[in-house]
Amino acid sequence: MLARDAESLFWAGRYLERAESTARLLDVTYHSLLETSPAEEAEAWRGVLSAVRLDQGFAESGRPLTAAAVSEFLVLDSDNPGSILTAVERARENARTVREQLSTELWESLNSFGLELRGRDLQADLAFQPHELYGFVRRRCQTVAGVAAETMARDEGWRFFVLGWNLERAEMACRLLSVRWRQLSPTAFHEWMATLRSASALEAYRRQYRASMDPVDVVEFLLLSRTFPRSVLFSLRTARNELDRLAVDGEMSRPRRQLGRVCAGLEFADVRELMSGDLGHELFLVEEGIRQVALSVATQYFSNSHEFDLHSLHLLPGDPG
Amino acid sequence: MPDVAAEPGLFEGYEVDGFFDEVFDADGRVRPHYAPLLARLSGFTSDDLVRQGRLRDAAFRSQGVTFTVYDEGEGIERTFPMDLLPRIVPADEWDHIEAGLVQRVTALNAFLDDLYVGERAAIHDGIVPTWLVESSDGFCREAFGIPVPLGARCLVSGVDLVRDGEGTYRVLEDNLRNPSGISYVIQNRVAMTRVLPTVFAHQQVRSVDHYGRSLLSALALVAPPASGDRPTVVVLTPGVFNSAYFEHVFLASQMGVELVEGRDLVVDDHVVSMRTTRGLQRVDVIYRRIDDGFLDPVVFRSDSTLGVPGLMAAARAGNVTIANAVGNGVADDKAVYAFVPDLIRYYTGDEAILPNVQTYLLWDEDQRAEALDRIDQLVVKPVAEAGGYGIVIGPSATDAELEACRRRVEADPRHYIAQEVVPLSRHPSLVGDHLEGRHVDLRPFVLSGERIEVIPGGLTRVAMRRGSLVVNSSQGGGSKDTWVLTAEPEEPDDPDDDEPTDRGDG
Repeated sequence: MLARDAESLFWAGRYLERAESTARLLDVTYHSLLETSPAEEAEAWRGVLSAVRLDQGFAESGRPLTAAAVSEFLVLDSDNPGSILTAVERARENARTVREQLSTELWESLNSFGLELRGRDLQADLAFQPHELYGFVRRRCQTVAGVAAETMARDEGWRFFVLGWNLERAEMACRLLSVRWRQLSPTAFHEWMATLRSASALEAYRRQYRASMDPVDVVEFLLLSRTFPRSVLFSLRTARNELDRLAVDGEMSRPRRQLGRVCAGLEFADVRELMSGDLGHELFLVEEGIRQVALSVATQYFSNSHEFDLHSLHLLPGDPG
Repeated sequence: MPDVAAEPGLFEGYEVDGFFDEVFDADGRVRPHYAPLLARLSGFTSDDLVRQGRLRDAAFRSQGVTFTVYDEGEGIERTFPMDLLPRIVPADEWDHIEAGLVQRVTALNAFLDDLYVGERAAIHDGIVPTWLVESSDGFCREAFGIPVPLGARCLVSGVDLVRDGEGTYRVLEDNLRNPSGISYVIQNRVAMTRVLPTVFAHQQVRSVDHYGRSLLSALALVAPPASGDRPTVVVLTPGVFNSAYFEHVFLASQMGVELVEGRDLVVDDHVVSMRTTRGLQRVDVIYRRIDDGFLDPVVFRSDSTLGVPGLMAAARAGNVTIANAVGNGVADDKAVYAFVPDLIRYYTGDEAILPNVQTYLLWDEDQRAEALDRIDQLVVKPVAEAGGYGIVIGPSATDAELEACRRRVEADPRHYIAQEVVPLSRHPSLVGDHLEGRHVDLRPFVLSGERIEVIPGGLTRVAMRRGSLVVNSSQGGGSKDTWVLTAEPEEPDDPDDDEPTDRGDG
């Protein structure tokens, strides 16, 4: 397929996941903070911004560190390339440039998602029904993913779409864990529960670990679960699967090698060992590994496309250029 | 004037106003080929139609069936407005149109191929003046010697037809460069069958959804001979910001081929390739939706970033076929258009089946004097513009506009023509919650391959403003699904039973 089309599908996947993860994070944070002190609240929002790697962008916007300001920045600020509105719009624009590669149903579900989001009164949503808004974003992202899974042939286009989607998911999950790990004490029962909930992981977690809420178990589940689709390892294995199938004649390409190493590090990790050492640093290495994979994918598959002039547009603040 | 719709219902108060009406004859009687449709519609109230119209708009919007309007530099996505009442062409009328279009495109292909790679016989024999051809904006020296297999230079034509006061179909423009609109033809049909399924059922309408297959086989036929059984065909678009981008996507996906932009293509050693995830892949046929001037910055506009450097040289080397052929614009020149009936006689030996609109060539002193004398009754058009731009319609222009127009013509008579005002036929169209007559034209699409194929129907464009003769979508026009019937509808059995009845199929 055209290198440019592959790149657009990759980014359409990334942006959709970015929108969904951000909505999940905001939803859980907002509702878990309703009864906390202003100081704790500010600290929690700082964590959210750091998890989506927009702390610097937010500081530059000069807004106060309040729920309203952060939510606005992350939901509807069209100057913020990482806001939900912008991410969905860019997912739609990327899909639009490869529309002939998509099933009609996939395009329609993504297009109407973008149009409906744009048509909503987001200010009012944030003021009066944030939970409804975040649920809307999450459900529509899931709808798009479901329609894609049901209507797209498992060809190259599909693989790049899934690859982008899962690399973004793994990276976001990794950052969320690393922020939570820094912020939360081992006894912060509600906060660890909220962390699981933001990944829709609470029920699945309970089935595996019962009602205990040991941070060791939470980290193991969100980082190393081989069965839960939003865990870091599960997302990376999904991505690896697609990369393997993209390889021509089994060629051991650079992105395959890199991703294989990151996956192996997690597959053979022991959570207690990780947590008795420097978990923050380990998570940073995983995150860095994911970024290197994304860059190598671009070099391997997209560098045939136009001279990367659009690429700078795609990069989120904080991404290495 | 007889009252076309005395009984209450959708057509209450409808007037033909002395125009040729597609649905009603001059005496207000329903034309027989519309009778079954009107019978089915009699079960509808205007509220029903308004509601179905909203359904249609919502469907078009979520499907992204849009075109882009530019307003003060800002592009706005608009859904293409489709009127819910279809236009119907009976089989015998269509036979006449089809024969006329096949004849016309045959002659135009012959003329263009002769001009660019042949003996230029029509010019040597004085059918069209040499100076006229060579002074045309669409004439392209760079196209000399570039072959097109089968001489299919007008691979896709979108010939604009109008019906005059007597109902005679006349050719207004040939559109041999990059005619657009076929995607709306197909989408309109899909929308009609969804929004008004009961109206559509059992009407024996010829289908239009084979277009992608026909286009792909025509494109494959004109591939360079060396490219083998399965030539690589691509659609070349200026990109997502082009107003017809929806159509480019649509055609690529209907054909199952790549939609490329100029930056996806590279020419090396006169061979065109596209950049893929697995390196370069050779391209044999380019269905381009970019104007001549932007195709190749080496040959044409050097500031064009839409094109591909070296493309023309690759075409000249016979390594790639560009469709439609470069240089077709010369035959779209409205002054050259005036000679098409002569070209038909010259190349086919027959008289034109579909007449032109009466045209005055303004460089000719006598014709100019006559035309300027009656300028308030004529339409003056620049010869090189498309899309309805720059037209002055005499009867509705102010004295100052006419005077300015007269001065422009006198300063540069080669670049203008004048035509008789054609009182375009009208068709009932939904305006708000009732039906009114609106002027329409018809753009059938013609494919040149092994033989010439006309897609049944075409895009009926509607001037949505009352009294307006301008149907271009860039100027606020709408469209209609256009039905070509396979057979004449049956005459009513009982001559007394002239009241439309619902046949009760749902």
